[in-house]
Amino acid sequence: MQSKKLGWLLLSPTLFILGLFGIFPFIYVLWVSFHEWNPFAANPEKLFNWAANYRKLVFDAQFLASLGVTLAFVFFAVVSEVVIGYILAQAFMKDFPGKAFFRTIHTLPLIMAPIIVGSIWKLMTTPSIGIIPHLLKNFGIDLNIGQSAIAAFCITVIMDIWHWTPLVTLSLIAALVSLPADPFEQAQIDGANKRQIFWHITLPMIRPALIATVFIRLMDAMRTVDEVLMLTGGGPGSATRYVGVHIYKEVFPKTNYGYGSAISVIVLYLTIVICWLLYTSLIAPRNKRG
Amino acid sequence: MGNVQIKGVTKSYGGVRVMHGVDVEIEDGEFVVLVGPSGCGKSTLLRMIAGLEEISGGQISIGGRVVNDIPPKERDIAMVFQSYALYPHKTVAENMGFPLLMAKRPKAEIAEKVNRAAEILDLTKYLDRYPKQLSGGQRQRVAMGRAIVRDPQVFLFDEPLSNLDAKLRVTMRVEIKELHQRLKTTTVYVTHDQIEAMTMANKIVVMRDGRVEQIGRPLDLYDRPVNLFVAGFIGSPAMNFLQGKVATRDGRQVVLTDQGIALPLDGVQVEDGRAVTYGIRPEHITIGEGGIPVDVSVFEPTGSETLIFGRVGGVPIDALVRERIEEEPGKTMSFRLDPRKAHVFDQVTGQRL
Repeated sequence: MQSKKLGWLLLSPTLFILGLFGIFPFIYVLWVSFHEWNPFAANPEKLFNWAANYRKLVFDAQFLASLGVTLAFVFFAVVSEVVIGYILAQAFMKDFPGKAFFRTIHTLPLIMAPIIVGSIWKLMTTPSIGIIPHLLKNFGIDLNIGQSAIAAFCITVIMDIWHWTPLVTLSLIAALVSLPADPFEQAQIDGANKRQIFWHITLPMIRPALIATVFIRLMDAMRTVDEVLMLTGGGPGSATRYVGVHIYKEVFPKTNYGYGSAISVIVLYLTIVICWLLYTSLIAPRNKRG
Repeated sequence: MGNVQIKGVTKSYGGVRVMHGVDVEIEDGEFVVLVGPSGCGKSTLLRMIAGLEEISGGQISIGGRVVNDIPPKERDIAMVFQSYALYPHKTVAENMGFPLLMAKRPKAEIAEKVNRAAEILDLTKYLDRYPKQLSGGQRQRVAMGRAIVRDPQVFLFDEPLSNLDAKLRVTMRVEIKELHQRLKTTTVYVTHDQIEAMTMANKIVVMRDGRVEQIGRPLDLYDRPVNLFVAGFIGSPAMNFLQGKVATRDGRQVVLTDQGIALPLDGVQVEDGRAVTYGIRPEHITIGEGGIPVDVSVFEPTGSETLIFGRVGGVPIDALVRERIEEEPGKTMSFRLDPRKAHVFDQVTGQRL
């Protein structure tokens, strides 16, 4: 009995922090999402309105559009990050002069706050002063992310790739470094060429790390807010109004706390569903194999 | 024709030369064991045959074709690694069929060859399992199966039994030997274990520090080691070495130690006064009157025989005898050395005289 008590005692700080900053806010958001609550309106009281927020959500064209662009954003960003991240990780597995230097440089975006990343990209893409429109002019391309929806979308994807590919690279380097050398030599002897070694040996062997990385990036990208808010403000129109941005705009400028909470809960639910689908299609069959 | 010719092969890493001109001739169907202590270059040599290491100098040919610049997959070899190097995400059948899949063989042929190899190796029950569901010995057999489905010119084994427990090692040793007798494929086998080398090989190549010390049939190496290194390396328990000078006593040549103990010789032509190392294997010593006095410290009875550790004039000497000894350690026993089985080496060069 004594040791059980001690165990709980030792766990208590963690449980306290987890409860205070994790579980309690979540339950609070869930609770708020069932209310009409606009604390700065004439009537600042919370009014319980059953599932009215959720009912509204289903028919909210702006939310559905926002969900659509978010999924497109997440798809293009995460797929590119994984592909580029893998290529970079393989490059960093080889020895070349200045390798440590380049590896350090390439991880720098990771340590930047998203709001700073957004600011830098805003500077770089502003038509009159930014370097990117300036350079693109040489190719006859007139980049203006304030006017072109497709350009704004592409730039947010590129910004996300620039910001987060190093994370993918780092985790894939870690996975590649820990692979045993023998199966690769064996595969060479068995007659596999580079492409076959990649599909038959490398990819299956780094699969757990790859999937974990995809999960992390997917969940992160689903809730992108600050970079995009800084860069495009969700525009032009609602071209880059990703769900994070949408929630922000509902909750802060419009002070629709109840409705914003309902969107958050639904987005969380959707994220879980996507991860679950990925899990059942990619990981579960492998675990069954033993 | 699965013969392998290694001619003047050298290997350098940066400026450091680790292999100094190795020559080995391997006949078709032979079972050759490369043996030596760690760092002697045996694994490097094997990997050079496989094409996993570049050859810095000299020439290796397989089946009459120089393979120096030919990639591993075109050398028509199969290799079994110490770690087995199984693909963890593939089943036993997929592992064994992988070389054939890479060679784009039809599915039916792959299945047939895998099944036949599985039968030979008694793996039929396990074809759908994954490597982690197998025991060490079974994994070892899967690795061998993957090698034999290809029907290559040469099998290469890199310390394949080192990760197995002692009992299984003996079993697998016999299995590999049986497999070789059945398939008659040229085999190059690397080990640091001289017992494995002695029991499995048609021909042993003893290596040290990137050089070949001696090449020969197992019993030739045992009976006539060319130098002190081979004498000490081949045979277990290891040969005893005692220092002395050749002298003639009562009309017979002996080796006289500094303590004046006479070690008997027979049939060795060495001039008197020469400083030599006298070698005698523990199994060529018997207990009996008229031998040399040895202070015995430890008895190791194994049931079938007894290993006796002792010292003569401060120098360790061991004997391996058939009989059971009921003596207390710490007393002096008389060791009789068989003069016909004695080896004499030059003290300076270490070469056999």
